[in-house]
Amino acid sequence: MAEEFSTDGMLDIYLFENSQLLEQLQDMVLEQKDEECFDEDSINEIFRTMHTIKGSSGIMMFDEITTVAHKLEDVFYYLRESHPQNVPHLELVDHVLEVADFISNEMEKIQNGDPADGEVGEIVARLDVFLEKIKSNADAGEEKPPENKHEEPKQFYISPVATSASRFYKIYIHFFEGTEMANVHAYKAVYALKEIAEDLLYSPEDIISDPSSAETIIKEGFKILLQAQCGEEEIRQIIGVGYDIEKVDVFECKAEEFLQGFDFGEQDDAPVIDLDSSVEEIEAQTQGTEDGEKAEEKKPAKPAIAPGDFVIKSKDPGKQRKLAKDKPKSDKASYISVNIGKMDQLMELIGELVISESVVLQNPDLKVPGLNLDNFNKAASQLSKIATDLQNVIMSMRMVPLTNTFQKMNRIVFDVSRKLGKDIDFVMVGEQTEVDRNIIEHISDPLMHIVRNSVDHGIESKEERVESGKPEKGKVTLSAKTEAGKVWICVEDDGAGLDRDKIIAKARKQGLLDDNKPDSEYTDKEVFQFITLPGFSTNEVVTEYSGRGVGMDVVVQNIQKIGGSLEIESEKGFGSIMSLKIPLTLAIIDGIVMEIGTSSFVIETGAIKEFVRVNEEMMIHEPDGEEYVMIRGECFPVLRLGEWFELNNYRESVEEGVMLILEVDEKKVCLFVDKLIGEQEIVVKPIPSYIKKVKGLSGCTQLGDGSIALILDAAGLIE
Amino acid sequence: MEELSELKRQVEKDQTTSSKHDAQKGKYMTFKSGHEYFGLEIQYVNEIIQLQTITAIPETEDYIKGLINLRGKVIPVIDVRLRFKQEPFEYNDRTCIIVINIKSMVVGLIIEKIAEVVEIKEENILPPPTLGRVDKAHHKYVYGIGKVGDEVKLLLDPDKLLNDEDLSVVEQANEMNNDEG
Repeated sequence: MAEEFSTDGMLDIYLFENSQLLEQLQDMVLEQKDEECFDEDSINEIFRTMHTIKGSSGIMMFDEITTVAHKLEDVFYYLRESHPQNVPHLELVDHVLEVADFISNEMEKIQNGDPADGEVGEIVARLDVFLEKIKSNADAGEEKPPENKHEEPKQFYISPVATSASRFYKIYIHFFEGTEMANVHAYKAVYALKEIAEDLLYSPEDIISDPSSAETIIKEGFKILLQAQCGEEEIRQIIGVGYDIEKVDVFECKAEEFLQGFDFGEQDDAPVIDLDSSVEEIEAQTQGTEDGEKAEEKKPAKPAIAPGDFVIKSKDPGKQRKLAKDKPKSDKASYISVNIGKMDQLMELIGELVISESVVLQNPDLKVPGLNLDNFNKAASQLSKIATDLQNVIMSMRMVPLTNTFQKMNRIVFDVSRKLGKDIDFVMVGEQTEVDRNIIEHISDPLMHIVRNSVDHGIESKEERVESGKPEKGKVTLSAKTEAGKVWICVEDDGAGLDRDKIIAKARKQGLLDDNKPDSEYTDKEVFQFITLPGFSTNEVVTEYSGRGVGMDVVVQNIQKIGGSLEIESEKGFGSIMSLKIPLTLAIIDGIVMEIGTSSFVIETGAIKEFVRVNEEMMIHEPDGEEYVMIRGECFPVLRLGEWFELNNYRESVEEGVMLILEVDEKKVCLFVDKLIGEQEIVVKPIPSYIKKVKGLSGCTQLGDGSIALILDAAGLIE
Repeated sequence: MEELSELKRQVEKDQTTSSKHDAQKGKYMTFKSGHEYFGLEIQYVNEIIQLQTITAIPETEDYIKGLINLRGKVIPVIDVRLRFKQEPFEYNDRTCIIVINIKSMVVGLIIEKIAEVVEIKEENILPPPTLGRVDKAHHKYVYGIGKVGDEVKLLLDPDKLLNDEDLSVVEQANEMNNDEG
């Protein structure tokens, strides 16, 4: 039976949750990579993340992930508990990222159905060494006595939930001698008090995991500090005098006393318990640690608390309850994760709805003369309004901020710059810019490549920078903005810039230039475009990151695939700017519907510069059949769509049809069609994969009458 | 058209009452193209629809007639007669489209006339003869000859029907699928 236990659904959730956790982890680590050390919130957060990953990986039986997460958790446990000084921060960042990478890699393998077979031995060994190192560092350095923390007034923080009605109590519970597992009984009391507690501290602290605390409790009694709104009697009732409890003393005290903590216990770090744990869990953990205790004894610095079941930092009791309990919940309440397939399905259905709406509203039956359609029209306009709203909502649901993509770049800059020994200031601007989800998927790789290029051979080495009078620290700016229905993503660096002469020389060598044309006649733009050609790299030295000449061409290809383009600006010695121009969305576009012969076509409105009617005198015919048209002194090549696609019954005479001037990347062409039908929003659908790709077509769509129109790809036509 | 709707009902009944694979086994949708009757295993057949407006796609093979709109889904349709390199025929009201689904690719087949759903037992299926009435063009798509009473039906391998000989198309389709995935 055990074999039938399926983990498929769990696996999905496991992968999803952990990848999110890892992402957050990375963001957090990178955010603080330049600080002296992690702040306490981050240490707690990393610790918790690792604990969660450890736990879930344990359940899924990915032992290696469990091991490595456990190790990192140990490190952060030490950091959190002992506040060691002199921690080599960058080294720590490296370790965290290394672990995060390892886990991501393993998860990718799992996702692809491969066995997670990564070796953790080395990473674990390194972490061990590191842990030892910070421990000895801390010992060597002057150890800060814990009293210091008591003196800082800001740590006496009054709980935000506290009101004037709150009362403070000291509670002493005495158990009968000989009571077994007094610690568990004590926890039961704590658990019961959780219902009314606004804040709660107790001593001894580690009742859950340390079975020896039972003795202490019996000997010295169990002490609780409680902040609550209820009276003394109520507390007594809640704790209840059981057969094992000898006596419960409840004393009311002042807030100041309460905040001073356990003067009786001299406990500085009394942890607050995770009140959500059930008693059963605690019992289980007690059992667990008993077994593991012997092993733990060797490391006195690491108390045998099962990490993560506690919320830490008891110095400011009110605040951390807020952190630990309230914040994550409110976050979770406002977001749910939805299966992407379902989103796509919804999107598709709304597309259908938009189409069938126009089928209904433009129904030929309505055109019968003499019909009174007043009520129909009212209802119809209401329907259109709702359909439009619905469409906007689904579009906005699919819009995702670029934040995650940008954060990934942050990581790349960090990695590459450290490996190359460059000091780089990475600035992100406008990462909140929203883009359709399926576009994000497509730009991540190209962007990664460009950023890597900027860091690798955009920014010069420190020495070179100083020589040329630039600040030692290089600067890379990644920015995003929305403009004219397009998203612009720019990667700007203040590095060496592109070397025009070098590129020209290389292009000459590869025979890309016209031999009769002098170098100076090529514009910068033309020259820089060469670097996007396959096999073109001016970098003599192939580094780990770039210089193999595969790259920019792939970048450009990928961007063109989603209808975007790449612009390169650069000044030698001052840096360069690579700008990606990509459409906001792929799914619904504004299009002009037109007719050629009996066929309908659609073209994206954005690609059209203007519509012109021309007459025969404006036409120029070349002997080889090429045609041009002169419009206001400018000469455009003419493309007759009917001829191009070998359609039937298209109009021959230019005077009967319409010319559309298309512009893509500053290349212009005149498209000749029979007539225009109108502008409408169209839902882009791919042409079924059975039919091979036709140049000049990018998809198809359904028109108001249910017929199918083909969508023209302006860039393809111009080529 | 009554004939057609009767058939449709039969197909639907066969598919709904016995969603199990086994119950469909041995049943063939037969149709006429040229002088021959052809059979397609019923498990591939999604539905039969009447001829609809077809949007032609430029620069494709002539047997690919274009795209139709099947309740919001855009599917390609191919002309079986042209696929078999036979003479084209005029579409009339008997012409219909068999929508088949192979490896989650949905394609419509334009055929002259739909016949019936027949059961052909395995022992009545012969491998295609190397010589005889069946000319070479058919050979690739026909994987067997089914005997039903006195008549014979040429049993089609739908996968070959769509893909064979057009390796470029297959590759392209795979490529595109990969891209999408």
